Amino acid sequence: MSRLAVTLRAVAYSLAAWIFAVLYLLPFIWMIGTSFKPIGEWGLPTLIPNEATLRNYYEILVSGGVYGVRGHFPPIIRYLVNSLTVSSVVALITSLLGALTAYGIVRFMAGGTTFANWILSLRMIPPVVILYPLVVMTKTIGLYNSIPGLILVYPVITLPITTWFMIGTFKSIPRETEEAALIDGCTHFQAFYKISLPQASIGLATSAIFAFIFSWSEFLIPLLLAPGEQAMPLTVFAGYFSNQYGILWGPLSAAAVITAVPVTVTAIIIQKYLIRGLTLGFVR
Amino acid sequence: MRSQGVPFILPTLAFLVVLVVYPTIYLYYMIFHSFNPLYEITVRFSGLQNFSTLITDADAHYSILAMLVLMGVTVPVEIALGTLLAIFFTSPHLRGKVVLRSIMLVPLSIPAIITGLNWKMVFFTYGPLNTFLESVGLPTQPWLSAPFGNPFNTLFVLAVLDIWQWTPFVALAVASGIESVPPFVKEAAEIDGASRTQLIRHIVLPLSKTVIIIVLLLRIIDSLKIFDIIYMLTAGGPGNVTTTLPFYIYKVGFTLTAPKADIGYASLLAVVLLMIATALVLFVLTRALNVKRVIWGE
Repeated sequence: MSRLAVTLRAVAYSLAAWIFAVLYLLPFIWMIGTSFKPIGEWGLPTLIPNEATLRNYYEILVSGGVYGVRGHFPPIIRYLVNSLTVSSVVALITSLLGALTAYGIVRFMAGGTTFANWILSLRMIPPVVILYPLVVMTKTIGLYNSIPGLILVYPVITLPITTWFMIGTFKSIPRETEEAALIDGCTHFQAFYKISLPQASIGLATSAIFAFIFSWSEFLIPLLLAPGEQAMPLTVFAGYFSNQYGILWGPLSAAAVITAVPVTVTAIIIQKYLIRGLTLGFVR
Repeated sequence: MRSQGVPFILPTLAFLVVLVVYPTIYLYYMIFHSFNPLYEITVRFSGLQNFSTLITDADAHYSILAMLVLMGVTVPVEIALGTLLAIFFTSPHLRGKVVLRSIMLVPLSIPAIITGLNWKMVFFTYGPLNTFLESVGLPTQPWLSAPFGNPFNTLFVLAVLDIWQWTPFVALAVASGIESVPPFVKEAAEIDGASRTQLIRHIVLPLSKTVIIIVLLLRIIDSLKIFDIIYMLTAGGPGNVTTTLPFYIYKVGFTLTAPKADIGYASLLAVVLLMIATALVLFVLTRALNVKRVIWGE
């Protein structure tokens, strides 16, 4: 094949890929566009607003909005803070617990195949199954409708993910330095946090980001466990908003963009590990 | 050696006993009881009443069917389209792969509830899709109540959404499987005169089979979890067309004004879902994924 033919082929392939990609994201691009549109343009299928405005973002974040008979809504700052708090704490706790557990499994076969299998199966069972007992439990101990309650329950989702991600990480770290440390008189726990954990720091950070993404996106658990204002995260608010003020597409799109963009950007940053995490390390 | 590792797994074990084992036991306790907090003060023993309800409840049977139909439509399409995309994305002729990969990550990283919200606006009767269809002279559709004249088609609208959301995941995973085929294998085949089609069909795809099977199984299992987009887009409607089993459990157990609303009955439905999921997971763990080999390399 001549050079020209090769170049033409590359151009054709790349063009096709780009057209496909843009078409694929069309609904999302449209929503981003709508979040910058003034009220008169909300329902239009145009991607780029004729008169772009930041009013939707200002209202949804700071001032709240009044749209006459169509309704009025509060600013979402507090739900944003709720989401951030819960997701950060859950990410911190479950990445550390996941690292500990993975270390025990990989280095000592603690719990054997049964335990490792069990943790894996928890990633696969639909959470709706055990939610009613969890509602009763949080009500009993007084954590229903509270941020600590969500922090207590979210690990059902995130622990299996961080544990399995860290299993992959510790497997790839050689044990020799650890063994040297043990000979020098370190305990197993010292060997873990002084030698192995620093070597696994990138994996640990990635697993924390995973836990953050999954906590941030969680909808069903907070819908049932934190329906009140005190602990409601952004995802539940978005659902509530769309049922209550479904016609206010500008602010609604702005809220959706604010909910989606942080996790989407994070996912793109850690893309090298994303598929590995989503397939629990079975696909690298 | 194992006993030295126990302190490492103990905190997680404690967490999971509280969060999973106790709730599961409670679940099995509840299936022999009845309770609707709207009308009753305490849980009462009802023997096998929930079981007889389940046997005669056509809505429950339909919800299982709807869940399986959704799985049967989405998973094969996602695997087929995803694999095709993966072949395309690993083509040596394609430029700008890093950017394309980033774009492919968007649908699968947007929180599902936001995807639902996004498409709810798109599909709205006076929304952009219908406005667009009208402007090019095509008939508009009530996408979320009776597209193409039949309410049951709403289930396929949901399927389209799930396919949009998860095909990129299949594509990216299969692409990384294809990329891990050692270059010398491909070179050897090329030297022997294999065309690209032959190379893909006889070398690359067979060598990526494990990855494709893993992704297939994960998609099957995850299709049992579809909830957010149903909640957002159709709330189980029109009628009960899109009320799949997980959503039916939610309706019966948590929206207490629904017909048959009862927490004991919802628990029994949850046990049914748990059993379906467990059967699938056991199949995966015994037939497809050897956890022992993955972790300890045996």
